[in-house]
Amino acid sequence: MKNASWTRYILILLVFVLLSGSVGVRMISIQNIPAAQVILEKSKNLVGVTQTIYPERGSIYDSQGRLLAGNETVYEVGLDLRSIAQPETIAAVASSVLGLDYSETLVYAKTEPIENQKLYIVLDSFVEKEKIEQLELIEEDYKTRPIGKNETRPSLEGLIWTPYNKRSYPEGDVAANLLGFYSFLDRVDGRGYYGVEEAYNDLLAGTPKQVYTPFDPQKISSVEDIPPGASLVLTIDREIQAMVEEQLAEAIEWSGAESGTIVVYNPEDGSIIAMATTPRMDPNYYWTQGSVFPGSTPFNRPISETYEPGSVFKVITMASALDAGAVKPDTIFNDTGSIMVGGSTITNWNYGAWGEQDMTGCMQHSLNVCLSWIATQLGADKFYTYLKNFGFDRNTGIDLGGESHWPLKLPGDNQWYEVDLATNSFGQGISVTPIQMAMAIGAVANEGRMMAPHVVKAIIIDGQQYEINPVIVGNPIKAETAETLTRMLVTSLEEESSVALVEGYSVAGKTGTAEIPTPFGYTSSVTNTSFVGWGPAEDPKFLVYVWLEKPTISIWGSEVAAPVFSKVVQKLVVLMDIPPDQIRLQASAEDH
Amino acid sequence: MKTKNIIHAYKQAPWRQQLQWIGIFLLILVTIAAIAGVYLSLSAKAAVTGRRIQKLEFQISALELEINDLASQLAYASSARVMSERAKALNMKQRDPAEALYLEVPGYSPEGFALAPAPSVDKIPSPSILPEFTSSLWDWLGDRLAQLPESAESTPEAQP
Repeated sequence: MKNASWTRYILILLVFVLLSGSVGVRMISIQNIPAAQVILEKSKNLVGVTQTIYPERGSIYDSQGRLLAGNETVYEVGLDLRSIAQPETIAAVASSVLGLDYSETLVYAKTEPIENQKLYIVLDSFVEKEKIEQLELIEEDYKTRPIGKNETRPSLEGLIWTPYNKRSYPEGDVAANLLGFYSFLDRVDGRGYYGVEEAYNDLLAGTPKQVYTPFDPQKISSVEDIPPGASLVLTIDREIQAMVEEQLAEAIEWSGAESGTIVVYNPEDGSIIAMATTPRMDPNYYWTQGSVFPGSTPFNRPISETYEPGSVFKVITMASALDAGAVKPDTIFNDTGSIMVGGSTITNWNYGAWGEQDMTGCMQHSLNVCLSWIATQLGADKFYTYLKNFGFDRNTGIDLGGESHWPLKLPGDNQWYEVDLATNSFGQGISVTPIQMAMAIGAVANEGRMMAPHVVKAIIIDGQQYEINPVIVGNPIKAETAETLTRMLVTSLEEESSVALVEGYSVAGKTGTAEIPTPFGYTSSVTNTSFVGWGPAEDPKFLVYVWLEKPTISIWGSEVAAPVFSKVVQKLVVLMDIPPDQIRLQASAEDH
Repeated sequence: MKTKNIIHAYKQAPWRQQLQWIGIFLLILVTIAAIAGVYLSLSAKAAVTGRRIQKLEFQISALELEINDLASQLAYASSARVMSERAKALNMKQRDPAEALYLEVPGYSPEGFALAPAPSVDKIPSPSILPEFTSSLWDWLGDRLAQLPESAESTPEAQP
């Protein structure tokens, strides 16, 4: 009897064990079938939502903290299909306020929602705040207006508007060539193009994050903070930039030039104070790029268009020769009006013979024959080594998108001929960008130290401002050479009573007129006119590089580019608070 | 028989026992209800706080958007072109460097502009090891002896 009871108990136990075991096995098998994963994925949508949050794009300021690129609020207007009460009312309001097509909106508003597939329809994007305020007024009116017994209260339920940031450029086309633009119409894959927007795109954009928000309010412990992208403080001063752009526009109109470029560079630290060029577009309407820059028109000439600079390049040749000891300032050259180099005859700009000239005279009268002779005295190897040291064989590395350079032809290259040594010495047969010229000649203004050109002064990350230190990229010449050449160029400008002179300020400088190469040879009737100058000569605070392409009023740099330099500097010294030499030197003497 | 009588004398009446069982049951019930009440109260508070956090985050986002928008509006209103037009309308002209009067202000140097503070340099804390762990017995004795005259000088002042 006792054994029979035990058998029953064990049987019942076995039954329960088997039942629970089979339930367990079934549970495990259900969890691992393919359909289980689908169910799991779907269930996630019921307990929370995962969104990719794009950080607010960092702002860009000028050196004085004025906003150059920021973000303004615009709205996306859409339909929440699950909560639409009156499709006709929504269509009517959207049509009148947003200018949308009534029948099309009505079709959207009557669309049946499909769970997890179609719950929301975008009606309009980039809607301005004023229109949203109108919608808010109408909504408020619908909620509060008195209605009769048999009337139905109108409702905009289901019509929703969501604010978001849109890139904006408050200064319009001022400094547009430096800033570049952000393709804000593409809200997911938008990125910076050209200028600072391209060069610092990753920093400005920040890091997008996947954020999971549970529907269960008890599970919300904190909402993840998405830090905005880094902001940039540029070296340019908006007032100076606007002034330089205005001067450039006036110069182009006056001279009939096809295009122009003015770079204002600080030779002491390599910072760009202003960089103006034509054409420019308003980055708020970046989709006009195709029409503003037809064909191969560069976005920012100073850094991406190479040209034969002409006689401004003589500054480099003279600096190299003085530094190597090939010539001294008082070396006398007897200019007979021509010189044979590599089987070709080199003549002066006026085909004249200038007789005995010292090196200052050679620069003052811009004698091609003299500079060719200097280059031969220096020798090809040394001359091109100096050119490489001045950075003409590479990009300057300026922190702007789209920089390029023309490869430097060197002895031994297929394309290099002996006559190139002579032509290169006065800036023909060699192509450079204005920024390469500014950086190289900046070394002459800065005691032989060549500074890396840059436009970003500081980066603001997480509320802290990190200053960017100036970088010396080389010492192509000695400090004594730089000082000697600066004195020579001050004298040469003063002795020829150049129109580049600025009353009260000592400036060093050099004109340039370059013939333009065409498939049929060089043209003398159309030229590139340039001027490079810096000041105050004893303690340079600025270097101004002017390039006017194909002016019609005159072909000479001394008549076209030099007066533009003077006008720019007259305004620049005011905006930079640089007192005239007399006052500055007097104050300096009193200090000592 | 005597023992049986004693048990009977001290055994509680059945109704009293029932009452005690009911009391215990009710006590457990009330305890459970109290715990459930506290749990419900706390979870309700957590839910409200969660929603509040969400709401505040939305407010922060909205305020950030508004700040950006206002900064942009301000920049538009004070852009170079607008300011230039306003200056012209007010019949203002750019200063002529020849007419400018320069004054030297001793000790003045224009400060660099900063939109945000420079990153703070966190000092690396130096290891704080007590002198007891680094000084020798002789050092300690020397220190004590050096302090002796100071103690001797200060002692008379302490006396009445």
